[in-house]
Amino acid sequence: MVDSISTEPAPVALDAEQPNSGPAQGLRLVVGWHVAGAAASVAMMLLANRSGDEELPATIGVFLRVFAAASFAAHVAAAVGVSQRRRWGRTVSLVVSYLVFVVAAVAAVHQLGGFTAIGSLGEGLSKAVVPFIVVAVGLLWVLVAGQIGASRPAAPGPRQLRRAGWVVTGIGSAWFVVAADPTGMLSAFFERIVQPVTIATLVLALVAFAATRFMWNREIGRIFGTTASVERTLTGLAFLSPNLLGFLFFFAGPVLFSLVVSFYDWKTTGTGRSFIGIDNYVEALSLDFASASAPGAGVEVLKANYQVLMHLDWFGQNWVIGARDVTFWLSLRNIVVFLALAVPLSVLPALGLSSILASQLRGMKIFRAVYFIPSVAGVIGVAIIWGQLFQSTVGWINYLIKRAGDLLPFVDAPDQGQAWLSSNSTALLAMVIVFAWMSFGFNTVLYLAGHQAIPKELYEAAEIDGARAWKIFRRITVPQLRNTTFYVLITTSILALQLFDIVWILSTPQPGGPDNATMTPVIALYNEAFKDNNRGYASALAWVLFAIIFVFTFAQFRRDREGATGGIA
Amino acid sequence: MSVKRKGPRATAVRVATYALLITVAIIVLFPFVVAVSTSLKRNTDIFTYPPSLVPRTVTTVTDPDLGLENATVYELPGSDGQFALVESDVPVAEFRRIDDPEVIIALPPDQGVETDRTTVVDGDEETIYLVEVDGSEVEVFRARLTVGGLFQPLDGEGDSESVVELVNLATPERVFGPRFENFSQVVTEKNLGRSLTNTVLVTIAVVVGQIVTSVLGGYAFARIDFRGRDRLFLLYLGSVMIPFVVLIIPLFQLMLQLGWTDNLVALIIPFVFTAYGTFLMRQFFLGIPKEIEEAALIDGASRATTLWKVMVPLARPAIATLATFGFLYAWNSFFWPLVIINSGNPDNGLLTLTLATLGGRSSTDTNLVFAGAVLAMTPPILVFLFAQRYFVENSASSGLK
Repeated sequence: MVDSISTEPAPVALDAEQPNSGPAQGLRLVVGWHVAGAAASVAMMLLANRSGDEELPATIGVFLRVFAAASFAAHVAAAVGVSQRRRWGRTVSLVVSYLVFVVAAVAAVHQLGGFTAIGSLGEGLSKAVVPFIVVAVGLLWVLVAGQIGASRPAAPGPRQLRRAGWVVTGIGSAWFVVAADPTGMLSAFFERIVQPVTIATLVLALVAFAATRFMWNREIGRIFGTTASVERTLTGLAFLSPNLLGFLFFFAGPVLFSLVVSFYDWKTTGTGRSFIGIDNYVEALSLDFASASAPGAGVEVLKANYQVLMHLDWFGQNWVIGARDVTFWLSLRNIVVFLALAVPLSVLPALGLSSILASQLRGMKIFRAVYFIPSVAGVIGVAIIWGQLFQSTVGWINYLIKRAGDLLPFVDAPDQGQAWLSSNSTALLAMVIVFAWMSFGFNTVLYLAGHQAIPKELYEAAEIDGARAWKIFRRITVPQLRNTTFYVLITTSILALQLFDIVWILSTPQPGGPDNATMTPVIALYNEAFKDNNRGYASALAWVLFAIIFVFTFAQFRRDREGATGGIA
Repeated sequence: MSVKRKGPRATAVRVATYALLITVAIIVLFPFVVAVSTSLKRNTDIFTYPPSLVPRTVTTVTDPDLGLENATVYELPGSDGQFALVESDVPVAEFRRIDDPEVIIALPPDQGVETDRTTVVDGDEETIYLVEVDGSEVEVFRARLTVGGLFQPLDGEGDSESVVELVNLATPERVFGPRFENFSQVVTEKNLGRSLTNTVLVTIAVVVGQIVTSVLGGYAFARIDFRGRDRLFLLYLGSVMIPFVVLIIPLFQLMLQLGWTDNLVALIIPFVFTAYGTFLMRQFFLGIPKEIEEAALIDGASRATTLWKVMVPLARPAIATLATFGFLYAWNSFFWPLVIINSGNPDNGLLTLTLATLGGRSSTDTNLVFAGAVLAMTPPILVFLFAQRYFVENSASSGLK
């Protein structure tokens, strides 16, 4: 198709409006392509109808039909629009061709195993570490030489240096290919590329690409009378498209799907996937309050399917609170306790320290950097370290408490080392300590940015008045940092609500233990989704958690709006 | 607050300020010091009380004259000087003093003079023996016959007699001795090498992918005035509100359909499209004066050429910021890999995953786990220290977290 545009002799112009016959010929081919596309869409529809639901999962069948219908409509519209030289014809044709090109190209790469080959690339890299380093050094060399060359463009030295860098990179790449030994990958590639489905997809991708390229031309735009505004929209969407398509496919689509799934009884085992309305949410959130005559009354006073969540002694009356999903409710209780402890512990030190660091004393940048390190070091490594520090017999925490007990009479160190992580009463506290330790440095930096916005005159005036440091801190710094404090509180809370990694590593004997003392909503969700394979219910839990998080997000959003519309700037 | 006054009071305040800052710095750095020290220890050295920051090793001695080869050096209770363990399972009689049963005297079984007297210890009748301790005779009873070690004095005149002692009473002499083999061992034996290369691959791919999509998208949002732009941008902004937990189940389902489970591609492709990055690049492009770009456009350059030749070089700081964030995210991510990578398959492991498995509840080689943890934590810390300028400024201004 591409060749025919250039090799066929130009026919005599048929249409008086188009003096140039090349475009007319090309446009006829584009119309042909859209007609063929429409026909293929019909075929796809028939195919999807014929292969029953037994062969294809229901969702894919529905998806295929919707896709085929949309494709048919779009191709027909494009064919009509282009052949009648409508102003919108070019736009529709471009969008359709481009989307077909992307889908076909991605599908071709998928069929060729190009995506899963990344796994094999991991193997290749592990075999060719040294050449890989050579390549990296070569590229760095080129980069540095380029920087030197940019400052002195006339000098021949940097250019030769840069060329040498490319040589190193080239040698390294060749060595890498030899060492990584891609023969297995290549043979798999050739095996797949000769399959008819793959070839058809590749041809489709090429045709769609050619059509897009052709229609993209400004010349063609003039024929269709495309306005500058439409041209801009097309350009903008073209630039945005890699990002936008990925965003829709890997984010927006899945999020909507998750919402749908949360209304289903969707288990991976067995066949039962039925719509059950809000039952998942009811199951997750149901509570039952019952008054009990005797303390310690159990499940017998609760409704069926309810288990005891907690006992309450309220004004002499015994209450039993039951829940259908006790684990989830326990996780909610834990996370509330966690928030109440961890958020102040990671925000208040940040407020105080940032006020010191904001002064222009020497060495402040070093302290700032040091405090920041825990938040970048990686939570798994950090959790492993703290696991050792919390160790009951030889851990540093117990040792230091014991030493403090020897030195200070008021510190009462127990003889037996505290089993921080395996004791119900301290496990969550241990998580609080690790979280606060990890996040206070980040919050300090956020506060430092807030400090920069405080007018210096306020401090100067206060100093002239002879105010003490503490008074300045309370009367000027804290009120001026109100917006920052709000932001820091919200972001830290949102982070804390999703607590997972620290607990996953540190809790014992299983994640969330002991006795659910460190169970968090996300761990409960993980267990439901990937241990019990209860995906519908787990999705509902995710949306409940989202609703809780959204309260915080929304508060921040409201505050931002107020700030923007004349609140405290 | 500017603390720039002079005088003794100001000096005291300054000293107190620095003391506070240094204390906090110690609290921050101490766990890392423990990590490095543990990563250089022998495993037996980790579970000793009191805990120590110094990686120690037992000393050995090789002395052909004494017939010793790589014998461990010990210190013995009640004896001065050093001893080498010659034999570790010689028969030993464990005697205890009548007047103080806590005191243990270990001797060869043929030593000690048996008397005909008896005494009652903890309800058992025991025969009294006489043994010589420091030149005087002591009354003891024989608690048990067991095996102990034969120790050769090292600083004697060459023919001093060997001593028998219970091995658990002898303390091996420990000297400073880091064990660097931990690192090579964890990389080779625990398959951390493969996890390391996998993590490098995933991180590079995510960073490069994020830069490409974010530069293109950010440029479109900032500089091309197309229809529907503001609504799309609002969609991007709104997406930031949605936590990852909402995404994890449908994304897993999607990976299942694509056949991407237990493959590194599942860690890369879904994460190269980032609303954060797009937002970051848009903000930066908005700050570049329009005239710079328009000059190039009027000269006839296409949008793509302008973006590549004019805008991208100007946007280097923003790209560096984005790269730093992408690096830290990809290198440290744990939840999604845990879900999508089959834990039984070490070939697709990442550093975080392998470490979590190694350092999990049934971990045995703590020194190796810590060597792995140090290996995993060093690159992000280094990247942060080098890219601090971009990182600190932008985490504050754009609120990325």
